[in-house]
Amino acid sequence: MIWDTWKKGFDAWESATAKLMEEMLKSPAVLWPSGAMLTGAMKAKTAYDRAVSQWVGAAGVATKRDQERMLHAIHQLESKLLDLEEKLSQKNA
Amino acid sequence: MKRLLNLAARVTRPAPVGTTPADVVLRENKWKLLRYRRPAGSPPPRETPVLLVPSLINRHYVMDLLPDRSMAADLVARGHDVYCIDWGTPEDEDRFVTFDDVCDRYLGRAIRHVASTSPRSKAHLLGYCLGGTLAVIHAAARPEHVASLLLLAAPVRFKNEGSLLEAWTQSPTFGVRPVVEAFGNVPWQLMQSAFHMLRPTLNLSKLVHLLDRAESGEFLDGFFALETWGNDNVSFPGACFERYIEELYRQDLLARGEFRLSGRPVKLGAITCPVMAVTFEHDNIVPAASASCALDMVSSTDKVHLHLPGGHVGAVVSRGAQRSLWPKLSEFFAARDADAAPQRVEARRVAKAPAEPAPREPAPREPAHVAPPGRGHTNGHANGHTNGHAKAEAPIVDKKRKARAVASPAARKKRATRSP
Repeated sequence: MIWDTWKKGFDAWESATAKLMEEMLKSPAVLWPSGAMLTGAMKAKTAYDRAVSQWVGAAGVATKRDQERMLHAIHQLESKLLDLEEKLSQKNA
Repeated sequence: MKRLLNLAARVTRPAPVGTTPADVVLRENKWKLLRYRRPAGSPPPRETPVLLVPSLINRHYVMDLLPDRSMAADLVARGHDVYCIDWGTPEDEDRFVTFDDVCDRYLGRAIRHVASTSPRSKAHLLGYCLGGTLAVIHAAARPEHVASLLLLAAPVRFKNEGSLLEAWTQSPTFGVRPVVEAFGNVPWQLMQSAFHMLRPTLNLSKLVHLLDRAESGEFLDGFFALETWGNDNVSFPGACFERYIEELYRQDLLARGEFRLSGRPVKLGAITCPVMAVTFEHDNIVPAASASCALDMVSSTDKVHLHLPGGHVGAVVSRGAQRSLWPKLSEFFAARDADAAPQRVEARRVAKAPAEPAPREPAPREPAHVAPPGRGHTNGHANGHTNGHAKAEAPIVDKKRKARAVASPAARKKRATRSP
């Protein structure tokens, strides 16, 4: 009984709070500065990563991005091989 | 006391998610094509196989959640030959994987493979959430192997006035490219935080409802399975994410008919196969209007709209869904199993309020924590994803070589009758 009453109160509070927070999170007054902060932080991270990779690259070592490009190229080659395999099996059919 | 014992018993053992036996029949980069095994001695499957296309940011096993609550197993039991794409886990190098790679190259290969097992050279597509968006885009650009299209809470129109997700993505100060440049793949933690913010009180609400219903072992099993799935998210390939947000969310190019897939125009009017759109009344991730509008855009004469109570995930995996939704999915495919199916007239019908309604979810949120048969639950399974995924992988057997060796004389002869 006590639990049920408490739960009804909780549900009402939760629903009202969620609605309020949704309005707040939709508001440009919150959304725009948050977006700007996130974008700024991302740009700072990118600049830092770029500086580090330039330094590593200058030492003649493959950077993380180089390795990613290489691996991606290998995956693309694999895909092209699968394309060829499909075409070949169609031609043989 | 019983509630506490029930909880303790389940917290200590991982939820048995994604356990329906399946074979890997195709593999490329990180994605795999799974084929669910049919029980020994079962009759031959229906003519046209079904391909399940899950969302990119969640694990595929939401469609195979628990042994006794698996949509995939249900379809298999109803006589369908069921395949499912497991998109896998993108790694750092997959930041360059584009939307065209996923929606055209990968999905296309899966569809061609599945269709090649059918005498019709066609497959039924069932796309869930973003998987449905991928399926509808692919079907519009390359309709040749698509027998029918079933869109389960799949967004097509992304401009939804009042939607919180739309407000965030439309915010002029939020830059998609800086996020992609900084991280490569968009981290699942970032996306999950965003989904948490859709209803910040949800976790607390789930905790209360968990305590409230902890006496039911069945509820707890469903709860922990969904929590395992909800915490087992994957990052979004960077280049793909950028195009998804910029062109689909921000510019709404798909609904405007201006989207292009690998250079091909994507006009939904090019879809003429049977189409079914399933929408949910309390779906705050994909509002019903955003998904049902697909039916107004396709040229199909055979189209069905099913509108059910429930939320984005709960209505698909709950006990209610097992009774009300899954049979309808199977009926839709079965009625369109062969080319010589009875003539169908335009069947645009809206079914509301099934006999046993699916439960309403306590709140919106895609990747995590949506109530299974009941309402709320807690985020009490932070590490569940590792165990859950390991479980999901367990019954899968790699048949890659077998799949590649399809050029047997019999298979060649069979293929000769198929369109290229």
